[in-house]
Amino acid sequence: MNPVRLLGRLVLVVSRGAGALALVLARTLLHLPRLRRHELLRALVHFGFDSLPLSLGVAVLTGATVVLQAGVYAERFGARQYAGWAGGYAVLWEFGPLLLGLLLAARVGARNAAELALLQVGGTLEGLRGISLDPFRLLVAPRVVAATLSVAALAGLTFMVAVVVEATVAFFLLRLPIRVLIDSFADLLTWRDALGGLCKSTAFGLAIAVVSTTIGLRARGGATGVGRAAAASVVAGAFAIFALDFALTGPLTRWLT
Amino acid sequence: MQLSTQALTVVRGRTPALDGVSLKLERGDHLQIHGPAGGGKTTLLKALAGLIRPSTGTVRWDALDPWALTSADRRAHQRHLGFVFQSDALFDSLTVEHNVRLPLERRGVPDDEARARAREALERVGLTAAALKRPESLSGGMRKRVGLARAVVTAPEVLLADDPFAGLDPDTEREMAALLLEVASARTLLVALPDPSPALPMPHRRLADGRLE
Amino acid sequence: MTPVHVAGRHWLLLTRTVRALRHQRPPLKLVLAQLDELGTRSIWLVTAGMAFFGAVLTTIAWMQARKYIGNVAFAGPAYFQLLVRELGPVVAALLTASRAGAGASAELAAMSVQEQLEALELSAIDPLSELVAPRLIAATLAVPLLCVVGTVAAALAAAGTVFALGGDGSSFIDPRYLTGGDLLSALAKSLVCGVAIPLAACGRALEARGGAAAVGEAVTAGVVDACLLVLVLDFLVTLVFLGLGL
Repeated sequence: MNPVRLLGRLVLVVSRGAGALALVLARTLLHLPRLRRHELLRALVHFGFDSLPLSLGVAVLTGATVVLQAGVYAERFGARQYAGWAGGYAVLWEFGPLLLGLLLAARVGARNAAELALLQVGGTLEGLRGISLDPFRLLVAPRVVAATLSVAALAGLTFMVAVVVEATVAFFLLRLPIRVLIDSFADLLTWRDALGGLCKSTAFGLAIAVVSTTIGLRARGGATGVGRAAAASVVAGAFAIFALDFALTGPLTRWLT
Repeated sequence: MQLSTQALTVVRGRTPALDGVSLKLERGDHLQIHGPAGGGKTTLLKALAGLIRPSTGTVRWDALDPWALTSADRRAHQRHLGFVFQSDALFDSLTVEHNVRLPLERRGVPDDEARARAREALERVGLTAAALKRPESLSGGMRKRVGLARAVVTAPEVLLADDPFAGLDPDTEREMAALLLEVASARTLLVALPDPSPALPMPHRRLADGRLE
Repeated sequence: MTPVHVAGRHWLLLTRTVRALRHQRPPLKLVLAQLDELGTRSIWLVTAGMAFFGAVLTTIAWMQARKYIGNVAFAGPAYFQLLVRELGPVVAALLTASRAGAGASAELAAMSVQEQLEALELSAIDPLSELVAPRLIAATLAVPLLCVVGTVAAALAAAGTVFALGGDGSSFIDPRYLTGGDLLSALAKSLVCGVAIPLAACGRALEARGGAAAVGEAVTAGVVDACLLVLVLDFLVTLVFLGLGL
C-alpha cells in the first residue's frame, strides 16, 4: 500500500478511536450527577465485589514474588535492611497497580465489553432509544463509574494484603524477622508512596472502563462479534495500562517525592 | 443401524437435561420429538450421535457402546450418522462445497471422489449454483440446506435433524420438510421440533423437562 | 473453584491434547498459521508494553536513587539481571496471555456456541488436535522468543531512559551479574507459560454453551485463568530455582 494512504488511514483510525473514547468519557461526566443508583449498585457488586477473590489472589502472588526477588538481592548485596523498602516500593509504585490492572482489564474490562456488546447486538440499546429513554444514562454511565471505583478500591485492598504477605513470606522463606521488614518499610516509605500507587490504579481503572465501554458499544454481529469485543477490550486495556503507566510515572514521582 | 437408549440421563450443572429416557429406533423408522425449549431435545439428539456423554444409562449403536470405543473409533463410526445442527454450524472460512466435503476429507476418501460426492449432495438440495460461495452470503433457508447436504454426504444410515425449520418462513419450511423426507427416504430419521409439524407426516412424541412422554 | 480443581482441569486438557496429537497430527499449515498469529500480532503488544515497562522501572529507580543511593548507574547491572531472570519472562508472558489468550478464547468460544466443534467431530476431526494442539505447539515455541524480544525491548528502553535523564545508560545493559542459572530460569519460566497460556484460554472456551453471553464469559474467564497461571507458575519456578541454588 502507498505509504501516504497508510499514514492517512492510521491518522483516521487513531482520531476516530480517540473521538469515541472522549465521547464516552464526556457523556459519563455529563450524567454523573443523576446516575441510576440501582444500576450503579448492581455494577459495583458485579465488577468490584465479585472480583475480590481474584484481587486477593493477585495480591498474594505479587507480594510473594516481589519479596522473594527483593530478598535474594538483599542477601546478595548484604542489604537486608533494605528488603522491606524495596519490596514495598515495588508493590506500591509498579507491580501492584500494573499486575492488578492487567488482571482487571481481563476480568472487569472484558466482562463490561461483553455485556454491552450483548445489549448492542441483541438490540436492547436500540429498543430503549426507541421508547425515548437514554440508554447511556440508564445502562452505560453507571458501568463506567462502577468499573473505575471498583478498580481503585480493589487496588487499595491489594496493596495492604500484598504488604502483609510480603512480611509473612520474608519471615518463612528468607528467615527475615518481620520487625526488620516492617521497620525498613515504615522508615523509608510514606503515605505519599501509597498515594502514588492509588493514583495510578484509579487512572488504570478509568482507562479500563472507558476503553471497554467504547469497544462494547461498537460491537456488531452475534456470538463472534461479542467474542471479538471482549478480546479487543483486553488487548486495548492492557496497552492503555502500560502506556498510561509510562505517561504517569514521571509526573507522579516528581509531584510526590 | 438400530439406535437405542436405556434410562439415559444427562446432567448439566445441577439439573438433569435428560432424565431416564429410553427410546428405540429401528432401521428406517421416522420419528418427531417435540417439546418446549430447554426440554432436552438437543441433548437427546447429541447423545444419540455420540457427541454428549451420558451421565448414567446407555446409548447403543446396534449393540455397540460408543463410549466404550476410543475417540478415533467413535469418530469412524459416526460416519453412519448425519446431523443437521440447529445453528447450521457451517464454517464461514470455507466455501459451501468445502463445508459439504469436510466429513469425507479426513476419512480417507480420495479427493476426486469426495468432490464428486459433495457436488452430488449439493445437487440433491438444489444448491449447485452456490457451491463456490461462502456460507455467510446465503439466506437462512439455503444455509439449512447446506447443513443437510453435509449431513448426508457420508451416506449415513441415520439422519438426525435438530430444529431444521428454525427461523424459516412457512413456504421455506414446507420446502425444507419435503427435502428432508426425500433425502431421508429409507434412512432412519429423527427430527426435533418445538411443535409437531404438519409438513412431516410421521409419529411424534413429546419431550419435556428431560422426560419422554 | 479451588486451585487444585483448576490445576487438575488444565492437566487433564494437556494430557488429552497430547493423546489426541498421537492419533491425529494437526496439519503443519495450522501450526504455522498460529505461529504467524503470535508473531505478527502479539509481538507488537509485547514489544510496546515491555518498552514502556522498562522505561517506567528506570524512572522509578532514578527517583529513588537520587534520594538514597546516589548514583543510579550502580544499580544498572543488578537491574539487567532482574529483568532477564524475572521481569522479562513474566511481564512478556502476561502481555501474550492478554493478546493471544483473548484471541484464542474468543474464537473457540464462538465456534463452541455455534456447534462448530461438534460439526468437526462428526467430520472425524478431533477439535483437540485441530484447534488446541496447533495453539499449544505454536505458543510453546513462540512465547520464549516473545520473552526474548520483550526483554531486549525493556532493556533498551531502560538504557535510553537513563541516557535521557542524563546518566550512564550503558550500565543498564551490562550483563556482569548474569549467570547461566538466570538464563535457565528465564527459559523455564517462558516455556511453562507458553504451555499454560493456550491451555487456559482454550479450556474455558471449549466448555462454552448457550448464546453470545457464554462467549463473553468464556473470554473473561479464559484470560483471567491464563494471567493467574502465568503468575503462579512464575512463582513456582522461582521457588524451584531458589531451592536448587541456581
